[in-house]
Amino acid sequence: MEQPSIAELGAQVKVTFTTTDEDIQLPESKRQLLVPADIRRYGLSRILNAESMLDTDNAIPFDFLVNGSFLRTSLEDYLQGNGLSLETNLTLQYVRSLIPPAYEASF
Amino acid sequence: TTHISEPEKTLRDFSEALDMWVSYQTKTHPLSLSLSSQLRLILTPSQSTKLSGSFRTGKRLNIKKIIPYIASSYKRDKIWMRRSIPSKRAYQILLCVDDSSSMGDNSSGPLALESLVMMARALTMLEVGQVGVLGFGTDVFVAHELTEPMASHDAGARVLQNFTFRQQGTDMIRLLRTTIDNFREARQVQSGGRGSEDLWQLALILSDGLVQSKDHARLRPLLREAMEQRVMVVFIVIDDAKDNKQGHSVLDLKEARFGSDGIPIIHRYLDSFPFPYYLIVHHLDDLPGALAALLRTWFAEVNA
Ligand SMILES: [Mg+2]
Repeated sequence: MEQPSIAELGAQVKVTFTTTDEDIQLPESKRQLLVPADIRRYGLSRILNAESMLDTDNAIPFDFLVNGSFLRTSLEDYLQGNGLSLETNLTLQYVRSLIPPAYEASF
Repeated sequence: TTHISEPEKTLRDFSEALDMWVSYQTKTHPLSLSLSSQLRLILTPSQSTKLSGSFRTGKRLNIKKIIPYIASSYKRDKIWMRRSIPSKRAYQILLCVDDSSSMGDNSSGPLALESLVMMARALTMLEVGQVGVLGFGTDVFVAHELTEPMASHDAGARVLQNFTFRQQGTDMIRLLRTTIDNFREARQVQSGGRGSEDLWQLALILSDGLVQSKDHARLRPLLREAMEQRVMVVFIVIDDAKDNKQGHSVLDLKEARFGSDGIPIIHRYLDSFPFPYYLIVHHLDDLPGALAALLRTWFAEVNA
């Protein structure tokens, strides 16, 4: 499937990344980010691994907790399902994914 | 038939709004005075720096008149130039306050209202023209008409009643469209009345600065249109993150986009911010000086 190009920019959501793992903390200035509203776990994971973010040697697959439960939909769908608008600043707690890499593609 | 009306906007309780107005006014009074005196120098020039005209007495000789003066046997003696008296300027100023819920989540909302009170008071003291207040979010509403004086605490409280930060979107395009249209109309009304005055129109936007990035490109032609209509738009980004430990400054805010190869590209949000005149306010104390400096620059550019 073709990815949308930068020109066709869609809606964005503001997220704040947090974690309890000391070794994968982001510096204060990199914790808040505007991301495409249709983003899912995999896209968020790619962003965190990016060179200008955590700059990991080997990509770490991440899972995201939002208000205590794992994110299994797009952020857009999560907001809609909870009666929230794009004005919401979502706090995403990231943890190392426990899902075996082989199943990665299904999320 | 059943008439389906627009859902009524929830207003803040009047006595609460009155308390807010009075306490903000008291707290920000020295800042209002400071802003007012700084703006007086910028907005109401009392002396023109240019020498011109031909008079019998004056400040400086007009060299071009010397030869005809001698040739006319000293009869054409209007050889002096004087400082021209500047035409009186009148202003229409719209304070546009972001009422979207992103303002309430962080503490930008209260700081924006405090700024609004401080600025409205300063502009009222200045007596340079009309001051109106617009609110915006998913839609735009008039919180105070340009033609109404903002003379009492009650009038101020009625303005604050409108701001509850519950609008579920931040439609900056609609705000600019409405502002330009309102100003066009207000200019026509004004020129019908006091035609001799030089009318300047100024929109001051108070907001956390969070606008969907996809709207940035669509805002640019509107900003050009405003400029062509001689409407100055100043964006005041209310950013109190420095005081609030949980918050993060919009200066640090990044945005991630995915390229066609699926690789995320991350850059600073403000890099694509379309407003040419904007300032970032961390503390209310900074606002009078910062706004005065920006307006001074702008007037210097338009008068150049
Ligand atoms: Mg907003």
